[in-house]
Amino acid sequence: MTLPRRFPHNKQIIKRIQNTVKPEEGTKFISNRNPRNLEFLRIAEKPKGYFLDTPFSKPAYFWHKLVVTPSAKYVTAELVHHQNGVVIEASTKEWALKKQLFKTSDTSAYINLARVFANRCLECGITEMSTKPLEGPKVERFMSILRDNGLILTEPPQIDTWSDLTINRYQGKRIVPNDWKEIVEEH
Amino acid sequence: MSYRSMTLLRFCSPIVIQARHGHRMRGKAPDIAKSLKERLAPVILDEEVAKRNDIGFPYQKPPRSAEFNKRFDHLKKQRSDSSLEKAARTTKLQINLDDVKVDWFKTAGPFHIRKIAEHYGVYDDLFGKYAYFVPRVFLDIKFPLNEDTVYPVYNGNKVHPLQAKSVPEVSFEHKFALSYSQKPEENTLWTLILTNPDGHLTKENSEYVHWMVSNIPNNDISKGDQIVPYLQPIPPKGTGYHRYIFVLYKQDKKLDLSSMKVTDLKDLEKRTFSTFDFYKNHEDSITPSGLAFFQSKWDESVRDVFHKELNMKQPIFEYDFPKAYLNYQKQFPLKQPFNLYLDRYADPKDVNKRYLEERLAKTHPFEGPEKKLQFPNAHELKKNIPSWKKTEIRKERLGRGRINDAV
Repeated sequence: MTLPRRFPHNKQIIKRIQNTVKPEEGTKFISNRNPRNLEFLRIAEKPKGYFLDTPFSKPAYFWHKLVVTPSAKYVTAELVHHQNGVVIEASTKEWALKKQLFKTSDTSAYINLARVFANRCLECGITEMSTKPLEGPKVERFMSILRDNGLILTEPPQIDTWSDLTINRYQGKRIVPNDWKEIVEEH
Repeated sequence: MSYRSMTLLRFCSPIVIQARHGHRMRGKAPDIAKSLKERLAPVILDEEVAKRNDIGFPYQKPPRSAEFNKRFDHLKKQRSDSSLEKAARTTKLQINLDDVKVDWFKTAGPFHIRKIAEHYGVYDDLFGKYAYFVPRVFLDIKFPLNEDTVYPVYNGNKVHPLQAKSVPEVSFEHKFALSYSQKPEENTLWTLILTNPDGHLTKENSEYVHWMVSNIPNNDISKGDQIVPYLQPIPPKGTGYHRYIFVLYKQDKKLDLSSMKVTDLKDLEKRTFSTFDFYKNHEDSITPSGLAFFQSKWDESVRDVFHKELNMKQPIFEYDFPKAYLNYQKQFPLKQPFNLYLDRYADPKDVNKRYLEERLAKTHPFEGPEKKLQFPNAHELKKNIPSWKKTEIRKERLGRGRINDAV
């Protein structure tokens, strides 16, 4: 692999950089291999996006996001992960839903799809997801039913642990995010 | 005048040539070069090797002719149902979620479970990177807590260790047919294993088996051979969510797993397990066919298990955040505030202690800290104080700075 131009070629420096991630010698450690664990603890890297991204119209920074795609005949709700793509899905195309519905794209189809989708998310243990503001009475109803069924339609930010060492360290009173406090107390 | 300038422009324009010298690192043209998405994608050297193998039972689709007619007739009846139409138009239609679940597992369900299991890295950590299976048997697992409450297990839902204290009730459809035309087998044998690939305390990339029952005749778990007795989830404090995975295997013949038997309940080491090795040894006679898993994190019941059942100290962990990279320390760091520069290279715990001691020295044991001044920085400072000390004093008076942060 060729390294980018500005990356240090000095072996000692590369070793020092690698050592920042390794546990110290003599400490006992275990590695939790659950790939979603750090996301639940808000430690995992959240994509920062690129310079030309549009963060306001699209939720560019997410671990999981909700995508609702209505078509002329059907509606599909998907939970998308930033690396793994579509993870959970529910659609009125599915025979399981279509079997009991009168129409597959009217308001009651949206309502029942929301109930099924919320149920599937809870069964899969993912309750927080970022959403972009959607328009239309049907979709608004859809979102409100997701909320009623126990989903949280926003995602907490990634915990910042670097600020103490950077030059831009906040000079005022230290801000510890509320979530982090809870997490520390919980674990 | 205007005429003249016009001509001059027209005259000059063909002479302007864009020349870019010295840009040698531009790379290939946009059409030829890879896009960012392509560049960030993982490199696959050999597709044949990287391909994942299905080690489960194949998917048997019902014949389309029979299914299509049935569905068509059903939908036709549905569309002429006036009470259903009324409910739909008034948005009072509430479909039955239990029925949805039953139909879901018969159609798209197994594929959805495979997708979410891949998302949780279940196949990677159990069977290695190149194998997967699509669950063909629906596992219905419930942890009973009281007579009234049960905690079900689905595909990654969260169950606390306290809720999973007692042995779960497991049921599944034991009549099994490989294809639709075949008559289902009546007498079948099964193996059920509950493992945790995340929490091994001594051996890396290893699992603890929490429950193992083999030779289960038909559906009755109590009649099977219990190889490993049930142990409740014990995710250590500070390690977050652990996966606890139930895998159901269908046996072709009776298995003899007496060598794996665990009798000493207090020895956690004996529960060390590897699903990969287990599957490799019995590959010819077992096929994975059911999957369900839940996630669990520390609660107080775990401490009791470590103390009372396992007779050991409760391990507590802390997440090891990556440390910031620091350049070599210089003897004379120029253009840098020297006090902050030195703090950066000291042990953060020592720095914190120093600031805390400094603050406590000014705090009266009974009367508390000094009273805040109304206009803190209006008071004159002594003249012989160095400038860096002055800024620290100013910050301290305003209630800012590291001295006020130290906890």
